[in-house]
Amino acid sequence: MKKNPIIPVACFILFCVFALSPSFGQTNVPKAKLPILTTSAGQSNDVTTINIVLEEAGLGFDYCDVPDVDMMKAGVGLADKESGPGFHAEVYTDLTKFPKGTPYSTIIFAIGASLKGMGASGLTIETEEARLKRVLDYCKQNKVFVVAVHVGGTALRGAPGSDNEKMIDAVAPFADYIIVTKESNKDARFTKIAQSRKIPLTEVDYALDLVGILKQVFL
Amino acid sequence: MRKKLMIASVTALAMLLLGMTISPRGQQSRPADRSAEVEVPDGCTVIMVAKGASTDGSTMATHTCDCGVCDWTWRHIPAADHKPGEMRKIYHISQYKTWPPEQGLKWDLYKNDFTGLEIPEAPHTYGYHHGMFGYMNDQQVGIGESTIGCSRKLYNNTPTPAFDITMLTLIAMERSKTAREAIQLMGSLAEKYGYGFNDGGEMLAVHDPNELWVFEIMPAGPLWTPKTGKPGAVWCAQRVPDDQVCVCPNESRIGEVDLKNKDYFLGSAHMVSFAVEQGLYDPKAGKPFSWKKAYSPAEGSAVSSDGRRARLWRFFNLVAPSLNLSPEMQNMDFPFSVKPDKPISVQDVMNMTRDRSQGSRFDRVKGLRGGPFSNPNYYGTTRTIGTPSVEYTTITQCRGWLPAPIGGIVWLSFGLQETSCYMPLYAGISDVPASFKIGDHWALNRDSARWAFDYVDFHTQVVYNAALEEVKKAQAEWEAKTVSRIPEIDKEALDRFNRAPLEGIGYLDGFCLSHADSVVKAWWTLGDDLFVRFNKHGYYDSEKRAYDRNRIAYPEWWKRAIKVWDAISEPADK
Repeated sequence: MKKNPIIPVACFILFCVFALSPSFGQTNVPKAKLPILTTSAGQSNDVTTINIVLEEAGLGFDYCDVPDVDMMKAGVGLADKESGPGFHAEVYTDLTKFPKGTPYSTIIFAIGASLKGMGASGLTIETEEARLKRVLDYCKQNKVFVVAVHVGGTALRGAPGSDNEKMIDAVAPFADYIIVTKESNKDARFTKIAQSRKIPLTEVDYALDLVGILKQVFL
Repeated sequence: MRKKLMIASVTALAMLLLGMTISPRGQQSRPADRSAEVEVPDGCTVIMVAKGASTDGSTMATHTCDCGVCDWTWRHIPAADHKPGEMRKIYHISQYKTWPPEQGLKWDLYKNDFTGLEIPEAPHTYGYHHGMFGYMNDQQVGIGESTIGCSRKLYNNTPTPAFDITMLTLIAMERSKTAREAIQLMGSLAEKYGYGFNDGGEMLAVHDPNELWVFEIMPAGPLWTPKTGKPGAVWCAQRVPDDQVCVCPNESRIGEVDLKNKDYFLGSAHMVSFAVEQGLYDPKAGKPFSWKKAYSPAEGSAVSSDGRRARLWRFFNLVAPSLNLSPEMQNMDFPFSVKPDKPISVQDVMNMTRDRSQGSRFDRVKGLRGGPFSNPNYYGTTRTIGTPSVEYTTITQCRGWLPAPIGGIVWLSFGLQETSCYMPLYAGISDVPASFKIGDHWALNRDSARWAFDYVDFHTQVVYNAALEEVKKAQAEWEAKTVSRIPEIDKEALDRFNRAPLEGIGYLDGFCLSHADSVVKAWWTLGDDLFVRFNKHGYYDSEKRAYDRNRIAYPEWWKRAIKVWDAISEPADK
């Protein structure tokens, strides 16, 4: 029987298409626990998107734009810190289930640099990087599950060394789970990080799709 | 003893003030509804004058393009004809994003941020002038902008929505012959393709020679996608009555809405149902739907915000002092528009954009605030209409008694209004001055018009009140005289336009470009003159080659203030 030469070529092409596709490497959605703290890596407004996604998913959370180790240690309730100029702390965790002081089990970072946002919080890219390192070190030591989310698309990406890429470098390699929109991952940067660190990654079309994903993660 | 008493009093006062700023611990600042928070930094002011409220029957709208780090460059987009099947690409355009000049100009580089959306081209697109936004097209449709913010849950900063506010204004310029057309077009595009990404709640003054509208638009939240089948934006527009004036200082201005009254209201059909769906309006509460209270509530007053919200009150106080509106009036309670006590001229509008709340409780030079030379730029709490962080200010003016290319004017001033000069750009001109197209904040560029005005402004800071008098002389020469010459320019342009439209346009091209070049040159010279004149806090008279070191004297009250400060700040044992 004569072998059809087209078949191995087609197989090779199909392999290349899948292997090089940004979505290659997508894995099953992992499980994580409540309570959740949401925050920003770079102070873009994308953390608001994450908060709204969580609300839509029916998941309580605490939010602070610039938490440091002291607030991580304080746990649920964020030590009753009050919002003020350049600082936001809000508590939406179900306090009947997770009383004030309960350690956070999960932290969700919305990645995206905003000069306007960092300026409002009195931060520079260097101080933001340093803060993120402290928080991530604490998470590692205390086994806090780290979720890195990028929903800002190409506008919140940039050349190597740019503020946005620095924020990705600061958080994504240290995450336990990465969720990105396809537009954010056009160059498969997050896929490569996930593969190299052997961490699960989920790619979605729209922020709306995060609702179902986060329900799977937490419920 | 007296000194000790004074120190004790000051210490007690300081502790009291400090105590007032420290909130008690343990009280969680948890709003009942987080989505109700709307906090927009002070920025652009839009002053609007309807045709029956102006001295000459024109409609006017301002835009104080307030930023401090943004792009200030301008360009002209010529009219164009398009073949069937041609497509118009839609780009994401950030108000704030800039590029180093060596990389190119913003108005070329933003095309790297293609959204992926293309819409069919119109058979003919109108020519227009634009800076941060589209401002005036050759049909006399004018626009001014102010960011008003929206309930936080409405922001959609994902790339899903295709339109930002800047892109909407550019499409409106290209395709609209009237303000209504512009509003309907922007609203429908935003609903269909989504609105947000770089922007949230935004307000535009949209006007033509006959009508002046306040257009406000909000995103539909980050969970919107085209696949939801729902509108990707919600918007509303209210017309300013012909005999009235209005203002927008970063706050939503539209209250109750009657969409059946199409003479005065336009808007999204779903504006009420969407507010209910989002939990922003409860019809069972027994109160009528209010656009601003639902979508962009901004609480407080001029007084309660220590003047941060004073521009709303200040405007009404300037144009209609007879109403005696209180600075303690809550923002949400101010009228949408008022009839001014007297008709408003374009020069009046220019002067209002320069306002620093002089003579009011928010006067920035009252007491010690302005220092020895009454500099309103020292004391930062009270925000005024005029502001140093402005990139440029526009006054778009539409005059229905003239053909559109002559009737429409963009009056443009660069930098702080108080030390700048308004220059006219007629709607029909085929280009803007070369010096308007270049420059940025981070490198002095002597070919950039903006830097000429910053150069003057910088040299007024040292001895502000005396230097400002010199600036006012230049403004009288280059601005006031030009305003008074406009009827003569109009007539000459009209005569030529009636003979051959291109001849009229050519005349206006020549006038606008050469006039702008002359003003820019005059401001460079003025900057040099101020530098020399007030050098070393003295007064060098170049004509007489004289020097009077005592002419710029520190006022007696300032010297006394220094002594008082020394007395209370020196250690008691000295």
